Amino acid sequence: MHGYSGKILHIDLTTRKTRVEQKPEAWYKIYIGGVSMASRLCWENIEVGCDPLSPGNPICIANGLFAGTPVPVGGKYGMASKSPLTGFIGDSMSGSWLPVALKRARWDGIVIHGASDEWVRILVDDDKVEFHDASHLVGLGTTETEEAIREELGDDQVRSATIGPAGENLVRIANVSNDGRKAGRTGHGAVWGSKKLKALSIRGTHGVGVADPETLTKLSFDILQAAQGPHTQKYRILGTSSNVLNMNKMGLLPTRNYQQGVFEDAEMVSGEYLHEHYKAKTIACAQCPIACEQVGQVKEGPYAGAMGHVEYESLYALSSNCGVSSFPAVIQAITNCNELGLDTMSSGVTISWAMECYERGVFTKEDFKCEKYPEGFEANFGNGEAVVTLTEMIAHREGYMGNLLAEGTRRASAQVDEERGTETYKWAMDIKGLECPGYDARTLKTFALGLAVGTRGACHNRTAAYDPDIKGQVDRFSVDETRGELAKSTEEYAAVYDTLPLCKFIRRCFTGKADRAGAWPAIAQLINATTGWDFDYDDVDRIGERAHTIKKAFNIREGWTREDDHLPYRWQHDPMETGPSAGYVVTDEELEYLKDIYYEAKGWTNEGLIPKEKLIALGMDDVAEEIGV
Amino acid sequence: MRIHMEFLGLSRLAAGAKEITLDLEEGTTFRDIVRTLGTRYPDMIGNVIQPDGETLHIPNIFNLNAKRMIQAGQMGDSPSDGDRIILMSISAGG
Repeated sequence: MHGYSGKILHIDLTTRKTRVEQKPEAWYKIYIGGVSMASRLCWENIEVGCDPLSPGNPICIANGLFAGTPVPVGGKYGMASKSPLTGFIGDSMSGSWLPVALKRARWDGIVIHGASDEWVRILVDDDKVEFHDASHLVGLGTTETEEAIREELGDDQVRSATIGPAGENLVRIANVSNDGRKAGRTGHGAVWGSKKLKALSIRGTHGVGVADPETLTKLSFDILQAAQGPHTQKYRILGTSSNVLNMNKMGLLPTRNYQQGVFEDAEMVSGEYLHEHYKAKTIACAQCPIACEQVGQVKEGPYAGAMGHVEYESLYALSSNCGVSSFPAVIQAITNCNELGLDTMSSGVTISWAMECYERGVFTKEDFKCEKYPEGFEANFGNGEAVVTLTEMIAHREGYMGNLLAEGTRRASAQVDEERGTETYKWAMDIKGLECPGYDARTLKTFALGLAVGTRGACHNRTAAYDPDIKGQVDRFSVDETRGELAKSTEEYAAVYDTLPLCKFIRRCFTGKADRAGAWPAIAQLINATTGWDFDYDDVDRIGERAHTIKKAFNIREGWTREDDHLPYRWQHDPMETGPSAGYVVTDEELEYLKDIYYEAKGWTNEGLIPKEKLIALGMDDVAEEIGV
Repeated sequence: MRIHMEFLGLSRLAAGAKEITLDLEEGTTFRDIVRTLGTRYPDMIGNVIQPDGETLHIPNIFNLNAKRMIQAGQMGDSPSDGDRIILMSISAGG
């Protein structure tokens, strides 16, 4: 078998024992790698129905097929666990040198079971596994932890995934960090913290074999050349943060906890403004010739020294959605999230909910007491220092507010409503417990469907259904019978990239066209040159359907029902008053219709369950036995 | 007719301006406007506008009045007096 070692490494933190599992080639042909394989490993290894923060919830890491090869943007891996935020599948993808080290150590995946009594870090050193005391690393930030481990090992080639204080404190919106990149969403950091796992380090010293090195190098070189052209120029120069003004113009930029879609100070927190005033450099993920990540640096004022990776999703969450127009404060808040190990998106949206609660009189200044501000502070929208301070409080579960917001928006609002008899759930912007992304879905009707049915909750990257709405391929303000098929098509398209994984920014660099016809034949060539298989267009297309199906199956087994495919109350009942999106909501009637036609397009029952024959046709016979209808 | 033209992202960097006003003859098409921009701002050729000078590089796109995207098949249509055209490029994915 080329491209794979055929081996999954199982590590038990309770017993400190390891075992090796051999997987047949047929299994790899179905699950490939990345989020699909990680989700499948989670399906196979979890104690069904377990508390996500219990030893029965495994950390499942699956490598990318192209990690360690010449394929551009292929240095990625997938991670899956049951999410402590949603109770459903939590799958993330991250680009870094960690998967390259994993490939060189000749493991296709790692499953970490159980829990340790003491803080521990793991070193996978080719085929050896070592457990090391990590008590001295507790409290360190993510970068500090990576650097400390390199120093301890005396090897700057060792690659680590780490958690920060947020993960240690079981913050449900905590993430896992590697080389400054994140397995960011759904609370993986808390799962690691529940196992007292501070870091996983990998040192791999072997070569990476592929079936046809000459062809793979040629194909990769062509893609690499295209990636230096106009298809990726906007990413290289401005990065994703250029979306701030785009969304603002269309009335889609989440503002003040999604109460508005136009932020009057959007120019001040735009990618263009970053480029002109705060950009320090751009950096790239492993194997990436694009280098889209814009690093912002604050050189003067109270946040001097702050240096953070400024992505659009971090920007909307911590700036416009909190009403903040101070770029230095936003860069500091991003820096805090990165180093403390918090998901910037969930942090910003949870903080914006707290700010709305404050402005509406649910919270008072006293609720925000902390060591830095013993009398509390005013948490109005626009207060950048409040956002900065709250990121610190959340990561450390400090004070009433830090501990409350560490639970994420849904749990925090439920707790407050129970304690105070309020209805703050109406302002809680989450789906299945995962905080919403940076595109207001009241006038993105296909996207609204994609988010509602998302297996990991409100994730723009998994559905990708904002693409046809925003680009005007359909009327974004209305609903029609095409949207079920469209939402299916976009989520399965995205799942192909998340499974290989390849960064979606490369999608126009194969042939100049990003659609299936433009990309799938080229991706099939890459797969075949790596593995020696004979994949064609249809085989590539099925990667996405299978990836999505295993995640859906996981959720069904954990108790998912049709009612879990929902939208936030605000998007359904609370229209904006101004801007291009004013006056619109997604009505109950629209949402239920959209769900009906989506389930139909997927070939599922009207209740959203998967027929046995559908699963069997996808090669998932054992899944059919358990959850097929 | 008079239209307002806004530049976002790379087009703003190439134009060195956030916004301009264009006085155009009736019947001017969106494609004509691309040509005009290419002539006025040569830095747009190659990254925002294709080398032919009359086609926008995907995913650069005209947005009309913050409501509607002008698709490739609609570039022969004409804007109306007072319209606001936003030249933007949407990023998605990662």
